Amino acid sequence: MYAAWTLKHKPTSLAQVVGNKEAIQKFVDWVKSWEKGVPKKRAAFFYGPPGIGKTVTVEAFANDSRMELVEKNASDYRTEDAINRFAGLASQYGSLFGVKRIVLLDELDGLTGTADRGGVKAITDIAKNAQVPIVLIANNAYDPRFSNLRNYCLLIQFKKPPAGEVMKHLRRICESEEIQVEENALKFIAQRSEGDVRSAVNDFQALAQGKRKLIYEDVSWLAYRDRQESIFSVLRMIIYGRTCSSAKRAVDMADVDIDMLFEWIYENAPAHLTDPHDLVRAMDSLSMADVYRGRIRSTRDWSFTRYVIDFMTAGVAMARQNTKASGWIPFKFPQRIQMLSRSKAQRAMQLNIGYKIKRKCHISAVRASKEFLPYLRIIFKNNAEMAAGLAKWLDLDQKMIEHLASSEEKAKAIAELVR
Amino acid sequence: MSFEMWAEKYRPKALDDMVDQKEIVERLKSFVKSRNVPHCIFAGPPGTGKTTAALCLARDLYGEVYREHIMELNASDERGINVVRETVKTFARVRSIGEIPFKIMILDESDNMTTDAQQALRRTMERYTETCRFILIANYSGKIIEPIQSRCAPFRFTFLPREEHDEYLKHIAEHEHIKLLEDGLDAIFEVCGGDLRKAINTLQAAASLNKPVDAKVVYSIAGRAHPADVQKMIEMAVKGNFLEARKQLRGMIQKYGVAGSDIIRQIHLEIFKVEIPEPLKIKLADVVGEIDYRLVEGADEEVQLSALLARLVEAGYELKKAS
Repeated sequence: MYAAWTLKHKPTSLAQVVGNKEAIQKFVDWVKSWEKGVPKKRAAFFYGPPGIGKTVTVEAFANDSRMELVEKNASDYRTEDAINRFAGLASQYGSLFGVKRIVLLDELDGLTGTADRGGVKAITDIAKNAQVPIVLIANNAYDPRFSNLRNYCLLIQFKKPPAGEVMKHLRRICESEEIQVEENALKFIAQRSEGDVRSAVNDFQALAQGKRKLIYEDVSWLAYRDRQESIFSVLRMIIYGRTCSSAKRAVDMADVDIDMLFEWIYENAPAHLTDPHDLVRAMDSLSMADVYRGRIRSTRDWSFTRYVIDFMTAGVAMARQNTKASGWIPFKFPQRIQMLSRSKAQRAMQLNIGYKIKRKCHISAVRASKEFLPYLRIIFKNNAEMAAGLAKWLDLDQKMIEHLASSEEKAKAIAELVR
Repeated sequence: MSFEMWAEKYRPKALDDMVDQKEIVERLKSFVKSRNVPHCIFAGPPGTGKTTAALCLARDLYGEVYREHIMELNASDERGINVVRETVKTFARVRSIGEIPFKIMILDESDNMTTDAQQALRRTMERYTETCRFILIANYSGKIIEPIQSRCAPFRFTFLPREEHDEYLKHIAEHEHIKLLEDGLDAIFEVCGGDLRKAINTLQAAASLNKPVDAKVVYSIAGRAHPADVQKMIEMAVKGNFLEARKQLRGMIQKYGVAGSDIIRQIHLEIFKVEIPEPLKIKLADVVGEIDYRLVEGADEEVQLSALLARLVEAGYELKKAS
């Protein structure tokens, strides 16, 4: 069994809690003030969005200062009676053996009107009369239900930690799980979580568990994950559309842009149209949609978008004349997008070599990388001497030589000759 | 053997050295003689000497210091309007010092300029005619907007005739001390279709194998320049496996950077070789031509070529049905 990393790597000390330094300091000062007698506000009310460390702060603090933590959360009944019983135990008497105690009432948003009848009133009473520090936690302290309760509480706001702080936490996990992670992959997960550390850790576990190394391409597709459910039904409306107008309407329902939707259709339509004539019609339509995209690019006239939509939706829908719907064929994420992001570094290298050729050969880097590279590869594979001469002439660096030579050995031999 | 790119090493240096495009060269020489050059468009297929002609013209006009009087910009790398507004304008408006009062701006691959940039260029060309002449180089003059075309003297470059193509390659082979056989020459011409730059690159790659360059060597080079074999892709499509064929195509384009125009040229050659009913060949050629044209217009290579693959799937299906 794998343990959830949110639990396994939960901070055990305040030093490990990310972000919210001010709020934490305010809380620590308040607890310390109990040593000089009961303060004016006997309860601290933590509030803020989920997953940013409110509960963890209390737990870590109790652990650091060796205090006993008594906790009640939404999984417990919290009627007036239940809370009173609990409060009586927890707050009125000092603990045995002189261990100090702290009481936590978590997830107050979850108090329900009927099952937890009278709960807020009971909590308010405790806050008024407590003999030990009480901590209340809710997402929204300004819920009207808490208006009276608030008067007896020290309000402490927790804010979303910045992505950099979230990354710190993820890095700690990487170390203890011994996973190598690319900096920008970590950054991507952290940014995507929008400060929700818990969800970041969950995402991270889902992606990284069982791996030794995590790279950016492994995580970037997550950006589309949330939207896949809706894209599937959009695709169904288009590929199995019966009328032009219903297929065209699907565009409004998609929450991806036109180009991305095009990729989804282009990836998936062929597998759903097995009759060769249907396939030809669908691919012709997509080809025409693409032609109009080109016309938009060259004229900068975006009004042509309507024809792009016609061809990629209605055109594909009307292609189906012979293919019968047969069984369940899964929709796939556009492979070409995935492949593009994987081969990004390689393409950048090819273009860089293109720039070197451009300096010598009066040709654009873009064309040079297409027209010269295939031949350079052959030369670098077969003739180290000529390759070295060309490398020198073109002023290629070590990395470029490695890219062009088919093996490391050859690259070494060529580099040797260059020197 | 020398270790430069031969395509560059054997580029003619002066108009007199240019073996081909005789009429064009004659007209350019007359510009040099009169010490005046109009705005020009050099249009024509790749590897036919457009850039070379522009550079030779500049050298003949300004002498060895020609680089101080010209600027080369490549629209494929710098295609936006800002390049025209900044780089081009700055260069164009400053008067040249020297005997000839104007500079020359060479805009290579200018059919890749955006329409906006071309519109901006139009004014610049007009305003600074005194100080700067433009040579626009393009594969397709149709992609250059009318108002610019009307301001330029048009020059149409064509593929080299076979004899001159052969002569040029033989000349290089001799200088580099490599053995180039007749059938090797035939093969180069078939594979490169008269594109001289490509022909020279092919020759150099073939020479790197250190054996006589015959047809077999040339075909192996051409095959290896396009590693994931176009033929295999065609076979898959004709057998009806569209998805696999598309995957193959994707690999060629993305991993190996094979140009769409090369793939389509090979498909075109293959169509007439495979055993399908003769009328079908013509029907397919029509589709290939249409897709080729769309690629020229700047459409997405993979999308367009996979539409072509779908046609091959259909052709294979018809064939099976008939037999």
